[in-house]
Amino acid sequence: MSLVKKDAAIDRWFLPGIIAGLFFTIKKMLANIFNRKSMPTLNYPEEKFEYSPRFKGTHILTVKKDGSLRCTACMLCATACPAECINIVAAEHDDPVVEKYPVKYEIDILRCVFCGMCEEACPVDAVRLGPEWQIPGVNGSNFIYDIRFLAYRPALKGGIPSTVEDEERHQAGI
Amino acid sequence: MFEKVAQKLKEPLMPKCTINGKEIEVKDGTTIMEAFYQKEVPIAHYCYHPGLSIAGVCRLCMVEIEGMPRTQIACNTKITEGMKISNVSDKAKDSVKWALDFHLINHPLDCPICDQAGECGLQEQYMHFGKYEPEMGQGKVKKRKVVDLGERVVLDTERCILCSRCVRFTDEVSKTNELGIFNRGDRSEVGTFQDKPLNNNYSVNTVDICPVGALTAKDFRFKQRVWLLKNRESICTGCSTGCNVNVYFNKGGVYRLKPKYNSDVNGHWMCDKGRDTYKHLNVEARLTKGKKTEEGKTTECDAGELAKQTAQLIEKIKKEGGGDSIGLIVTAQYSNEEYAAMFELFKIKLGSNNVFYWINNQKTFEAFDGLLYRGDKNPNTKGLLRALSKCKFDQTWDKLEEKIKAKQLKIVVVLGPENQEVYPDISEKLKLLNSVDNVVWLTTNQVLGTELLKSCWQIPVKSTIEKSGTYINFKGLEQKIKPVTNIVSGALTLTEAAALFAGDEIPFDSKTPVKGERVWNEFFHHRGDL
Repeated sequence: MSLVKKDAAIDRWFLPGIIAGLFFTIKKMLANIFNRKSMPTLNYPEEKFEYSPRFKGTHILTVKKDGSLRCTACMLCATACPAECINIVAAEHDDPVVEKYPVKYEIDILRCVFCGMCEEACPVDAVRLGPEWQIPGVNGSNFIYDIRFLAYRPALKGGIPSTVEDEERHQAGI
Repeated sequence: MFEKVAQKLKEPLMPKCTINGKEIEVKDGTTIMEAFYQKEVPIAHYCYHPGLSIAGVCRLCMVEIEGMPRTQIACNTKITEGMKISNVSDKAKDSVKWALDFHLINHPLDCPICDQAGECGLQEQYMHFGKYEPEMGQGKVKKRKVVDLGERVVLDTERCILCSRCVRFTDEVSKTNELGIFNRGDRSEVGTFQDKPLNNNYSVNTVDICPVGALTAKDFRFKQRVWLLKNRESICTGCSTGCNVNVYFNKGGVYRLKPKYNSDVNGHWMCDKGRDTYKHLNVEARLTKGKKTEEGKTTECDAGELAKQTAQLIEKIKKEGGGDSIGLIVTAQYSNEEYAAMFELFKIKLGSNNVFYWINNQKTFEAFDGLLYRGDKNPNTKGLLRALSKCKFDQTWDKLEEKIKAKQLKIVVVLGPENQEVYPDISEKLKLLNSVDNVVWLTTNQVLGTELLKSCWQIPVKSTIEKSGTYINFKGLEQKIKPVTNIVSGALTLTEAAALFAGDEIPFDSKTPVKGERVWNEFFHHRGDL
């Protein structure tokens, strides 16, 4: 006995398949028209989906209490990044307490896979993945995020404070 | 009988000992640390350095010796007959752990902003022996950070573990005695008297030997993390000593040079001037395309194409005026193989004897600072002289001047210097070359002032780290080097250029990689491998 089930004679015909498919479509359409609440889609621009607060979206660079960037340009995020989308250029800071800071911190968001490894690698809570996910742009250059966007975009209202402060660490004798 | 005893006394004593269960024989007077080095057994240590005297201050090289009640330091204990030494026993490991704990009491954890992170002794030993929870109840002693020590070095006294390697270096090797350890106890600080600058020509060696990030090089500071760099061996081209170096590079170019141990040439050290020689290798300073300047107009084209055009020009001039209307100017900055190819082209194929040796600073050729740095700022003067005498070329710049004034030369090919800083007379020479109709300048870098010439074709050639070749240093030692990385891929080696000038094609290696064979990719980041 063959295990392969042969097509019935009717399956070789084209039209019955089409009609069966259309019947399924029409059934769903009528169900959606008469019972709109059960419809799983959203009218996107007007209605938006609420993701959980743990959603990993667009990056944020946190700031210190004085509003300057928390990032120390240690390059651990760039090292951990599997997509190699983080580009940091470090420089010497005038303040010897700060010592090293990034003059350039760019994320190529089109390369980013939103894995969150940068967030985990960061020793000073300087980079986080925020809740935003609507990231349109007009051309390619809109998708390379610089410090101004990552730390001080209007949605962040002047910057998100970091939980790690040097002052407090020094006072604690660390 | 006395003869036998005398014979026995003459024989060198070779005490036998066991290191981690393996029996070895060493020379009399060898310390345990040296035996570990000879047998390449890893051992934790900070203050010991094979090029410096023994201090025995870091207490990290603790080993257990059978029969001794306590662990001993390996760097200052001499091996005696039948010693049984272990640095992997629990007792030895525990002592290392405690020594490390003391080192880390006041060490700031600023690894994220420390340049040494990735090649730091503390990080490495902590991962081997430490991994404990800190038990210190008190806060850390704060010391001065970012102390400016002159042109090349920055000091961070907080990170220092007081191993005194740098102090011993300035005492024993550079003999300049700038550094010292001041104050006592946990307030001890390494530094210079009243923060005077550490401006000797060997200052960056202190950065190399610093096992932690207390001394960092200004030139390399914050440029790149070390784990993003690869390193390969080469030689320094700064002077005729030919120090062996490790070139640290990634796809962004070369970032630094560090000395590589070679007892015949440079020992463990290299000078600061030699460390700067990587700067003219990077793409920003390089000539990336052939440049053709004719009557004030400059056009760009590929190096190979320009070399072929040169070949046509040379052939035309040879037909009109014979081989002696073609001249070649050589500098001592290329490899033996390249000289051989170029001289063969001129002597045999073109039949020209007009090869002129461009000497940059003959007055200072014999100058020597007593350690490494020599007055002859060319890596291959010996090699060039050998090649010249082999072909019986003996003309220098004076002869060239005569011939140019007599209008005997229609075309001059210049093997320009790779390191143009050591040729300060370059603009004067350009003025002289202006009266030659055609100048073909083979160069790695952009030559400043060639726009002054009426007609100059600049062909990009490969730099020392991009080609293989042999260089002969001041004492006649031949050093073979392999290519490190590729920076200007369109550039030619002089051997290739000589082939193209002769009208031949460059042999192209079309070997396709075998499937499954790993192709070495220079842009491959290796990560986490310390």
